[in-house]
Amino acid sequence: MTYDASLWIIFILLGLCTLLPRGSFIVLGNRVTLPGALQRALRYAPAAALAAIVVPDVLLVGGELAPFNPKLAAAIAAVTATLLWRNPWLPFIAGMAALHAARLLAGV
Amino acid sequence: MVHVHSTFWSGAREGFTVFLPLSVGLVPWALVMGMAMAGVGFTPLQAMGMNVLVFAGTAQLGTLPLIAAEAPLWLILTTALALNLRFVIFSAAIAPGFRGVPMPARWVSGFLLTDGVFAVCLDKMLTVDDPRWRLGYYLAPAVWSWVLWQGFALIGVFASGILPKQWSLEFMATIALIVLLVPMAKVRPMLLAAVVGGLSATLLRNMPLRLGVVAGIVAGIAAGFAAEHWEHRSKPT
Repeated sequence: MTYDASLWIIFILLGLCTLLPRGSFIVLGNRVTLPGALQRALRYAPAAALAAIVVPDVLLVGGELAPFNPKLAAAIAAVTATLLWRNPWLPFIAGMAALHAARLLAGV
Repeated sequence: MVHVHSTFWSGAREGFTVFLPLSVGLVPWALVMGMAMAGVGFTPLQAMGMNVLVFAGTAQLGTLPLIAAEAPLWLILTTALALNLRFVIFSAAIAPGFRGVPMPARWVSGFLLTDGVFAVCLDKMLTVDDPRWRLGYYLAPAVWSWVLWQGFALIGVFASGILPKQWSLEFMATIALIVLLVPMAKVRPMLLAAVVGGLSATLLRNMPLRLGVVAGIVAGIAAGFAAEHWEHRSKPT
């Protein structure tokens, strides 16, 4: 797949979508504060957003629900490795190993 | 002049010493980031362009599949904003540590704010008086993170060119998102936000313009917030 110049516009806008939240209060100083309820609600945004990307990716194959597929096996292995060990490389090793083992078993 | 700047450098030395061992954790992330960007077909220039301009692992990994699927721009940006919202909270928490620091340095510091730097610097930023010492203590780990992030992403970009396609290395990006998600979901309302967010996005996958992702995020936030309220009521403190 190749991308045209509009990719750079996406990068610049993404950069702003990162700089503005990060810079917000550091640049503004103590003059402004967020309402407490909004602050608490925003805490859930990263977890919800990560899950909204990961879960469909590992549950769907070709747009259809596939409760038994190699990606799901890999995800379970990665979650297990993250929960059990602190080694930062292990989830990747376990996940990729499970992905390929499940593919071999399924014959895909 | 020398002694005017010396507190900056003593702060920088101390911040760097504290952060150095922890910074090893950035290496696999940056490598995976590089491989993931090359995996969706970015040229090395495009990959490093994204890495320098965006400099946010979660937002980069999270938007890569959307960019590759040619999702609408607003969806890509909304997703990035949702993934970056935690920085508004970090920024608000650490802001008092930048009193007495000039504006240009504040913009640079904001750009370089990451989860690790926030976690390491927050305490000293709020308790030390000397603004130069504080800025040094913050900037040394922040700049070091940036250097590691760019260097190892570049290695990742070129490593992925050598590795065969059927290894499906692009899946490492999904694993990276899982590794970020799991520690967050150890608190019950956060777990609920993730479960509701993930399942809603899956069930709503056929909504036009991939609106299901945004609907999933909103549903997840609402579920987490509601669960927090409910927990507070059931055991008042």
